[in-house]
Amino acid sequence: MRLLKKNMPPAAATKLGYTPPDGGWGWAVVLGAFISIGFSYAFPKSLTIYFKEIQEYFSVSYSQIAWVSSVMLASMYAAGPVSSILVNRYGSRPVVMVGGVMVCTGMVLASFGKSIVHLYLCVGVIGGFGLAFNLQPALTIIGTYFQVKRPMANGLAMTGSPVVLFTLAPLNQFLFDSFGWRGSFLILGAIVLNCCVAGSLMRPVNKTAGQKPKTEPAECNGAAAEEAATADTGAQSDNLLTEENQSEGRSQGCVHRFIDVSLFRHRGFLIYLTGNVVMFFGFFAPVVFLAPYAKHQGIDEYSAAFLLSIFALVDMFIRPTTGFLGNSKWIRPRIQYFFSFAVSYNGVCHLLCPLASGYTGLVVYAVFFGLAFGMVSALLFEVLMDLVGSHRFSSAVGLVTIIECGPVLLGPPLSGALVDIFGDYKYMYYACGVFMLVPGIFFFIMHYFNYKRLDEEKRQSMAAEMRTCEETVQLKMSQDEKADG
Amino acid sequence: MTASWKQLFFQILLLVFCRHINTKTPGPTPPPLVADSPLPTDVRSAILKGESHTEKVEVVNPVNLTLECTWAGNRDKQPNITGLWRKDGEEIENSLLMVQLENEQYNLRRVFNIVNEESLGNYSCLFGNEARIDFVLAAPHIGEVRDKPIVGYVGDTAVILCKMEESKPKPSTWNWYRTNGTNKEQILTAAEPHRYKIVNEGEKTKLLVHNLTEADSGSYYCAAVYPIGTTMGHVELKVITFFEPLKPFLAILVEVIILVAAILLYERSRSKKNYAAGNETNDQSNTLTQGENNESEGSSSMRQRKV
Repeated sequence: MRLLKKNMPPAAATKLGYTPPDGGWGWAVVLGAFISIGFSYAFPKSLTIYFKEIQEYFSVSYSQIAWVSSVMLASMYAAGPVSSILVNRYGSRPVVMVGGVMVCTGMVLASFGKSIVHLYLCVGVIGGFGLAFNLQPALTIIGTYFQVKRPMANGLAMTGSPVVLFTLAPLNQFLFDSFGWRGSFLILGAIVLNCCVAGSLMRPVNKTAGQKPKTEPAECNGAAAEEAATADTGAQSDNLLTEENQSEGRSQGCVHRFIDVSLFRHRGFLIYLTGNVVMFFGFFAPVVFLAPYAKHQGIDEYSAAFLLSIFALVDMFIRPTTGFLGNSKWIRPRIQYFFSFAVSYNGVCHLLCPLASGYTGLVVYAVFFGLAFGMVSALLFEVLMDLVGSHRFSSAVGLVTIIECGPVLLGPPLSGALVDIFGDYKYMYYACGVFMLVPGIFFFIMHYFNYKRLDEEKRQSMAAEMRTCEETVQLKMSQDEKADG
Repeated sequence: MTASWKQLFFQILLLVFCRHINTKTPGPTPPPLVADSPLPTDVRSAILKGESHTEKVEVVNPVNLTLECTWAGNRDKQPNITGLWRKDGEEIENSLLMVQLENEQYNLRRVFNIVNEESLGNYSCLFGNEARIDFVLAAPHIGEVRDKPIVGYVGDTAVILCKMEESKPKPSTWNWYRTNGTNKEQILTAAEPHRYKIVNEGEKTKLLVHNLTEADSGSYYCAAVYPIGTTMGHVELKVITFFEPLKPFLAILVEVIILVAAILLYERSRSKKNYAAGNETNDQSNTLTQGENNESEGSSSMRQRKV
């Protein structure tokens, strides 16, 4: 029996139909995803350096120029489903390369811009769509290359965001001093073209190698139970829920062409979606207001900016660490609880922030907030993959991003309004804390029930499988006896 | 005693009329404003603790300014000490006098007529050779002006901004100058309306230079005009052609193309090798799986028999 286990690929991969390599070229793909995800998240944030000069050049108000960032972020999230459809149809590589070329074109056109609307269209819409074509495929391809080491791979890829932001911020300042905003946009267009390099690394995974031999007696040896510790809850649940199997058989054809809307009947997906929609109202606002809050407390501009650097550094190191922890054998089977903990911890952090006094208090807050933010970011897409499985992830992430578009855009302005109304930052922090703590607790409760249901369904289907296995083995035995006799 | 009552009366006057005046020192008297002299008067005082002290005084309108210096003296407190006033390092005529020690302090006071830009400068009161307090009289300094060069492109428009801090008084008007060799020439929009445009908005001013050429590179000065004088801010403009950023753009473009081509070619060569080897391994794996099936069947049947 031990002999069999060694040659046995994990049962959870049955839905994928092949064994993900979990290494080898997969790490090059992680590098490509690192670059793509990094540019997707960091690029809109890093453009804010140019806003002051552009604002004077076009003689517009600050809120009008801030719209460039918002339009870019909105396009990036809204184009999620389009991206998912294209990835389902053509795979990750072409979409990422097209995305890179799109952002480059957008920035080059913007460098010749003669009005602010020109910038909205070129940087905002075209750039945003291009970044969406980078983000979705990068996340999807990790799921195709990794199964056992997937949380680690996800954690490493999501580290791209703070690293690229850290690099782009001083680089943008240098470009601005040397070339002004027009030249900088031109050169940034070229820099962003490196996403095409990332795309070329995203070789489609070889699905013919290591195909699982479909031997039924081998399954019966309890190997399936052994691999439960390392397998997806999602893939297993898809495996075992017979009704879903049937509906998937029907929608298999649709999945490859359009987007999988049957996800809205998926329990785990709905839990994730509702929790995230509430969470994103309070997720980004504290980052935006960290420096202004510090200045409001009387701290000088450079120390306030240093707080953001501390936050980014802590964020950078905690993301791979979270990935590594999520991969460990204690956490992996119950990774949804880890995510719920991270979200709740975020909420607690914000609720305690008004208690922080002076610069040291704010530094402590920045460190803890960096930890919290990094943990949630690293796990954000890993838990979605865990819930719906890698093969449906592409559609899931497209649907999730377009629905999250609203809270992401409304969050910072609403928080800003809170600050303006009360004249004090602490109410904004309380609000953000509540917006993160409530989904965290919601996740804990709902996933507790979800795990119970999944375990029950697994037990039921395993019992059913054992029965069918015993029957086939008895059949074979009787055949052997007949042959002998 | 009566002097301090007068000071208290003026203090009340001050609180009632002039709440926005900001004295930065813990001076003994807040500045009173008396309206019946041709020039307004103002008082600035400083107490010296230590070797020397510098006080910045912002002057906007012509004023009769009284400067007061107070010194606690050193260890051996002499009853008399020489007091002297200096302007910009040069001794002011007839300002030397003997100062008595009153209430354990030495006091120096003098009234100065600050009427024009030449009256501004660095005024110092000296006690003997030991203690000095400096008052730096100047018009409000321009707060926001870019210290690094502004980059503009040939044929494009450049916007140069100078802004006074909102807490400081607004200038009467703004002027713009640019250096022509060593001279500063005022930019007059009337002379070249299609090239220069000046937009003054209270505490900020914008100079727009249209149709840039490389000759437009150089130093520009924005001058905030106050009744007492003007303060200058310096901005540098650098005009470059579009080929400047185009060079790094093309360099990075070439790098991207090379990397993409290298990665794709490497992949193609690997897949050709795998295809050749793949045919062999396919046969091997087929025999392996058959072997596995036989083994599994054998052991499972063995298990069954044991049970």
